[in-house]
Amino acid sequence: MKLLESLRISWRAIRGHKLRSTLTTLGVIIGIAAVITFVTLGAGLQEGIVGDISPDDQRNVYVWAAPPENSGQGPLAGAQPVFTQRDANQAANLSGVEDAYVYTPVPGQSVTYGNETVARQSGFIATGAGYLDDDEIADGRRFTGGTVDPENGTLEVVLNPAMAGLFEQNVSVGDTLTLGVFQGLQVEVTVVGILEDSESRSAFEGFGPSPRLYIPADFQLIGGVGEQPRYIAMVAEAPTRSDADIDQVKQVTEQYLTGPDSDAGERAASQDLAFELQTSTELIGQLEDVLNLLQNFVVGIAGISLLVGSIGIANIMLVSVTERTREIGIMKAVGAQRRDILGLFIVEAVILGVLGAIMGTALGLLAGYAVSGYIGIPWVFPARWTAVAIVVGIAVGVLAGLYPAWNASRTDPIDALRYE
Amino acid sequence: METESRNSAVSLDGVVKTYRLGEPVHALDGVSLEVPRGSYTAVMGPSGSGKSTLMNLIGCLDTPTEGEIFLDGQDVTRVSDRERTRIRGEDVGFVFQTFNLMPRLTARENVALPMVFRGIGRAERRERAAEVLDSVGLGDRLEHRPNELSGGQRQRVAIARALVNDPALLLADEPTGNLDTETGEQIMDLFEELYERGNTILMVTHERSIAEHAERIVHLLDGEIERIEQLSGVGR
Ligand SMILES: Nc1ncnc2c1ncn2[C@@H]1O[C@H](COP(=O)(O)OP(=O)(O)O)[C@@H](O)[C@H]1O
Ligand SMILES: [Mg+2]
Repeated sequence: MKLLESLRISWRAIRGHKLRSTLTTLGVIIGIAAVITFVTLGAGLQEGIVGDISPDDQRNVYVWAAPPENSGQGPLAGAQPVFTQRDANQAANLSGVEDAYVYTPVPGQSVTYGNETVARQSGFIATGAGYLDDDEIADGRRFTGGTVDPENGTLEVVLNPAMAGLFEQNVSVGDTLTLGVFQGLQVEVTVVGILEDSESRSAFEGFGPSPRLYIPADFQLIGGVGEQPRYIAMVAEAPTRSDADIDQVKQVTEQYLTGPDSDAGERAASQDLAFELQTSTELIGQLEDVLNLLQNFVVGIAGISLLVGSIGIANIMLVSVTERTREIGIMKAVGAQRRDILGLFIVEAVILGVLGAIMGTALGLLAGYAVSGYIGIPWVFPARWTAVAIVVGIAVGVLAGLYPAWNASRTDPIDALRYE
Repeated sequence: METESRNSAVSLDGVVKTYRLGEPVHALDGVSLEVPRGSYTAVMGPSGSGKSTLMNLIGCLDTPTEGEIFLDGQDVTRVSDRERTRIRGEDVGFVFQTFNLMPRLTARENVALPMVFRGIGRAERRERAAEVLDSVGLGDRLEHRPNELSGGQRQRVAIARALVNDPALLLADEPTGNLDTETGEQIMDLFEELYERGNTILMVTHERSIAEHAERIVHLLDGEIERIEQLSGVGR
């Protein structure tokens, strides 16, 4: 019997039980949809992150101090405030280091523009002027940093377009904002620049476009009274992104930080912290490792769902074989060979598996598209995974159909015809 | 015996069929029989005498416990399951008392089914099935499903299916058993026609009037041949 014939006959049997067939394939649908959704998101996330590294960013060495057990968990994992402004100034003077500045997220509460206030739970980014580049600024200039007199509203800030667009009337250069910071403190700031886009500026910021506000690191001065403020991280720039230059920066910076002259080194040693020095590329590698781990986990869960799905198909196939015992008897009586019957039921199971795979893929692509749009990462069509899904669908069908089909093929025609 | 079996459509030699479910049941107990080519034979006997068992063995649906069965000179008790399946599909046409049609298929598809397993193309199958259905008087019922047909029509579909591969031998196990007398007579007229065209027919029935359409009647009793009655042809 030809394959086309088996397909025709099996397809009829499935169509005869539409609801039952759909419910049966649900396990496969869910499993495949989960895989496709998460690989789409994973691929989009990776592309989003990799796309975020500008060539300029690639010569930055990101430095923070964390307990050794946090090593390899991504940027700022377990980072403690150890760096002082003096550390950054000293590092900037090391041979081979182009520039160095501190970096720290500042807890925030709100931003007020005119009489409009928006909540800003995610806070602000306090850093050195070198963190932002002139050619990234669409309008205005970078902040100059330096000593700040918050009472006079001379604190300079830079916004990204997403931040500027949070208000009914777009914020522009020269406008004054009021920031709500820790302990209910209100600070007046002047907008000196608007960035060209709302992308993440470095691996420290997380990924994708989101509203961000950058303030000079000196701003920390208002927080601490007397004592030198400590910052979570530091960025040291190499003159180029060549491996040699970056290695030089890493080497001298680490030497300085662990040496007797650094403020950070002293505090890190007393808290048993280790320094992490990483480039964006290295950090993204780590992030990708974490992402891959997560993805493997999801694929594992989906694998269980697929297993349950195949058991469902196998079960319904067994029922189907029993229900159609008489039909099997008739077919055998009129000349159906064992392999014809075997083929018929395997094809039926494969159709169920492939149907589940196709529906699951469609659902997964849709969900992946919707979610990546929603969280603002690029949508990547997982061509390879779509092909894998279909192959898995076929495999699930064959596996699930094998035993029931084998059972059917061995049915004795006489017994089958007598079956009520 | 040997030469005779070569010339007969069907030849049985000491066929025994024993069912062992606790107490052994000798459904057939040493049956030897010759069915000449182109003959029309009826098998009669009380219920449980082994008529269906005999038909199933000849139709290659079952295998005997002992003895040999020749179809057209070929010993079908010694061939593989594959070959017996092929014989069922191609050399023998079987008509059952309960029709045994596929409920989801149309009359035409039911009739075409044996050709599917022979690997005949769809277009040819459809044409041939329509032709055979037409010859049994169902040319206007091609696309009807079994549940849209009367008992007599269903049995005619089953007969068309049995004939579609042009088998040398037509086996019918109580083909009129589920039909009223008038419809039964129509089926008998059809058999008559097939007989006149040269088909070998072997038919089980428990009705004397039906059996009398045949050339001769084999009387079975308790799994053995009681006697073979030659009919003068007056009844036909
Ligand atoms: N599959 C079976 N298992 C056990 N006994 C059977 C089976 N098929 C038939 N028999 C027995 O064999 C005998 C002959 O049955 P059968 O050939 O169907 O008789 P008939 O068709 O003449 O009524 C009966 O006694 C019946 O009970
Ligand atoms: Mg019977």
